[in-house]
Amino acid sequence: MDSEAQRLTLPASVESVAEFRNFVRSGAVAADVPEADLEKLDLVMEEILVNIARYAYIPESGVAEVLFVPEGPGKLYVEISDWGNAFNPLAVEPPDFSRGLAERSIGGLGVFLVRSLVSSIAYRREADRNILSFGFPGPDS
Amino acid sequence: MNIETSDLEKAILLKVSGRMDAENAHEFEQACEPWIARGAKHLIADLDGLQYVSSMGLRSFLAVAQKLQSSSGSLILCRLNGLPRQVFELTRLIGLFPIFDSAQEALATL
Repeated sequence: MDSEAQRLTLPASVESVAEFRNFVRSGAVAADVPEADLEKLDLVMEEILVNIARYAYIPESGVAEVLFVPEGPGKLYVEISDWGNAFNPLAVEPPDFSRGLAERSIGGLGVFLVRSLVSSIAYRREADRNILSFGFPGPDS
Repeated sequence: MNIETSDLEKAILLKVSGRMDAENAHEFEQACEPWIARGAKHLIADLDGLQYVSSMGLRSFLAVAQKLQSSSGSLILCRLNGLPRQVFELTRLIGLFPIFDSAQEALATL
């Protein structure tokens, strides 16, 4: 499976999100992921990468690596890595949906959105590396 | 993302189109702030041309709505469709905003 894997490494910054997004999008198109799902894939990539850009390396800077592998027709497996502080985004508390407008915050919404749009998601820490992997598209697509 | 603003007297209309993401979501707040500072109570965001919104965009909508609510005003959304609507639904923000099918319908309630 690794022979088909494609990788891209860029600075972990908000400015890199578009290039990472386009990279994975090209893999999704080649894997025949339905066109209607491509913006959902953009959204998943943005939410994960923006979190890495903002929090992984504080107060320093570093890189993120994106890898994808086609997983049969219409399906893609994606891994996003950083070498920053150990952090499992899947352990973040879910948003508190009971709060009204005045008290509502968006804390946790990004991860919640990601979970809603993928078919599977997992986090692992390997040596000094955070690896978040997911399958796409999700069940609602 | 493109934002066209017009003053409808009872409310300010902001036509938002394109993609609202981490790089540009702050532009929506920036477009609203001068009107709020001048005392506008109600802002209507026409989202017919909005193709994409991420959680950073949601943060922007929420921040503007909270500011307006604290001065007894509101941020009204209209023509929320497609993926942006799905994002509002998934994050259960949909019930926190007044939502209408058109700006005219929204205006009629003010």
